[in-house]
Amino acid sequence: MSSRAVVQGRGRALRRLRYAAPRILATLLAFLLAAVWLGPLALIVITSIKPNKEFLNGPFALPIAPTLEPYQKVWEGLNFGALMQNSLLYATTGSALAVSLALVPAFALSRFDPPGKKYIFALLLTGLMLPQQTVLIPLYDMLRWLHLLDTRIGLIVVHGVYGMPSQIVILRGFMTTIPREIEKAAEIEGATDFQIFYKVILPLSLPGIIVGYTLNFIAIWKEFVFALVFLNSEANFPVTVGMLKLNSDRYISAFNLPSAGLVISQIPIAILFILAYRRISSGNFIGSVKG
Amino acid sequence: MSSRPSDERTSFIAFARRHVFVTLFGIVVPVALFACFIGYPIVYTIYLSFFEWNGMAATKTFVGVANYVYMAGDNYFYISLINNLKWLAVSLAFPVVLGFLIAYAMRVRAVYFPTLLRTAIFFPVTMSLVAVGLMFLLILNPIFGAFDSLLRALGLGFLIHEWFGDYHIAIYTLAVVGGWAFTGLPMIFYFAGIGDVPKETFDAARIEGAGHLRMMLKVALPQLRPVTAVVVMLTLFESLKAFDLIAVMTKGAPFGRTDVLGYLVYLESFWNSRFGYGATVSVAILVLSIAIAALLLGKVFRGAFDV
Repeated sequence: MSSRAVVQGRGRALRRLRYAAPRILATLLAFLLAAVWLGPLALIVITSIKPNKEFLNGPFALPIAPTLEPYQKVWEGLNFGALMQNSLLYATTGSALAVSLALVPAFALSRFDPPGKKYIFALLLTGLMLPQQTVLIPLYDMLRWLHLLDTRIGLIVVHGVYGMPSQIVILRGFMTTIPREIEKAAEIEGATDFQIFYKVILPLSLPGIIVGYTLNFIAIWKEFVFALVFLNSEANFPVTVGMLKLNSDRYISAFNLPSAGLVISQIPIAILFILAYRRISSGNFIGSVKG
Repeated sequence: MSSRPSDERTSFIAFARRHVFVTLFGIVVPVALFACFIGYPIVYTIYLSFFEWNGMAATKTFVGVANYVYMAGDNYFYISLINNLKWLAVSLAFPVVLGFLIAYAMRVRAVYFPTLLRTAIFFPVTMSLVAVGLMFLLILNPIFGAFDSLLRALGLGFLIHEWFGDYHIAIYTLAVVGGWAFTGLPMIFYFAGIGDVPKETFDAARIEGAGHLRMMLKVALPQLRPVTAVVVMLTLFESLKAFDLIAVMTKGAPFGRTDVLGYLVYLESFWNSRFGYGATVSVAILVLSIAIAALLLGKVFRGAFDV
C-alpha cells in the first residue's frame, strides 16, 4: 500500500468518526435515559425475588438465593386471584362496551356530514378532557339511585360510557383512511347505510378496532378513581384498589412483598404490551387526534 | 350557536329521515349517553355547590354562595391550587420537552438503537399510577431506598432530601414521578407528528447548514403546532386530574402540603361528608380547565385545529 493510500484511508476513517462521534455521544446519553426508565423497573423485579435476609446487602445487590416466596405470600395475602379476575372483567367488558358504543358514531362522523357536526366534536372533546373528579359526586349519587353502587355492572357501565369518546376519535380516524371508492360500488347497488356499515366498513375497521380495544383495555386496567369511589366491598375491587393494601405496614416493611405485588399487577399489561407493541408505540393511532 | 337555527333544524330532520340508522345509533344514542353521564353530572355538580349536604340525608340545605365564600378563605384550597399549577409547570418542563427531544433524536437518527429508548420510555405509560406510586415509595425510601444509595455512591449525598417529608419539595417529587410515567405520551405524539413532516423539509434545512437546534426550533416545531396543541392540552388535563399518585404516596401529607384539587374534592366529599363543598371545589377545577383550555386554544394555538 502506498503511503498516500494510507493517509487517504486514515482521512476517511477520521471523517467517518467525525460523522459518527456525535451519534455515539447521543447514544450514550440515550442509554443513560433508558436506564432512568428501565432502572426502577429492573430494581423492582430484582427486589421481588430476594429473600428477606438479603436486604442488608443493599438495594443494588443481586439476589444470592432467589426465591418466589414473596409472590406466593402476596398472592395469597391480597387475594390477587380475585383482584385479577375483577380487573380482567372490567377491562374486557368495559372496553367492549366502549368500542361498540363508538362504532356507529365513528362511522357517522367519518362518512357523513350531519348538521351540527361541530357541536358533536365539541361534546367529544369535553368527554375526553373532563377531569373525572368534577363528575365524581353526581355519578356516585346516580349509581346509588340506580342501586348500582358497589356493583360490578355499575362500574362497567361507567367505564364503557367514559371510554366511548376516545374510541370514537380513534375509530373515526381509522375509518377516514378507508377509501370512499370501496363503498361506492355498494351504494350504487342500492345498499342501505346499515349494510355499508356492517358489510363494508366494519370488517375493514378491524385493525382499528383492535388498537382501540387494546388502548381501552389498558386504560381500564390502570383506572383508579372510579373504582375507589364507586366500590366498597373487597370482593368487587380491581387490582389498582386492592393493591393499596401493599402500602400498609404489614407489607411495605419488607420490600420484596410490595415489589412482587407490583410485578403481578403489571403482568397482564406487559403481555398485552408485547403483543400490541408495534401497533401502539408507533403512534399510528394518533393520526386520528390531529383532526 | 348557528345564526339560522331553524335552517339547521330542518336540514337535520332531512338528514335524519334519509339516514335513520346513522342518526339513531351514530348521533342520538351517543349524545343521549353524553347528556346522562357527562352533561347531567356537570350541571348537578354546579347545582350542588350551592347546597350543604352530607351525602346521605334526603334533604339538602340551600346555602347560597356560602361554599364559595368558604373556599375563598380555605387555606387548603390555595395550597391545592398552587400544587396543581406547580404540577403543570413540572409536566410542561420535563415530560413534554424531553418527549419532544427524544422523538426528534429518533426521527433524525441522531442515536443508534432508537427502539430501545422508545420502548423503555413508553412502557410506564401502560402502568397504573398506583403501581408507579408504590414503586417510587420503595425506591425513594429514606432508609432502604435505591435512589439515595445511588446518590451516595456517586458522591452526591449532599443532594439527598426527605423526598416526601420535606414539604418544600414533596409536591415536586410527586410531579416528577408523574412525569416519569407520562413522558412516553408526549414522546409518541411527537414521534408520530415528526414522521408526518416531509423528509425533504429536514434535508433542505440540513443542506443549508442548519444545526439540530435550528432544525428543532425553526423547522420541526413550527410544523408541529397542532401536535403541540394536543400535547399541551393533554398535559394540562393530566395535571389538573392529578390524584392517583397523591392517594397512594402521601395522602396529602405532610399537613396537606401535597393536596391537589382533585384530592381535595375526594377528601371533602367522601371522607368529611361535605358533598356541597366538594362540589364547589369540583366547579373550581371545571372553571380552571375551561379557562386555561380556552386561553390556549384561543390565543396560543389559534387556528392549530380545523375540525
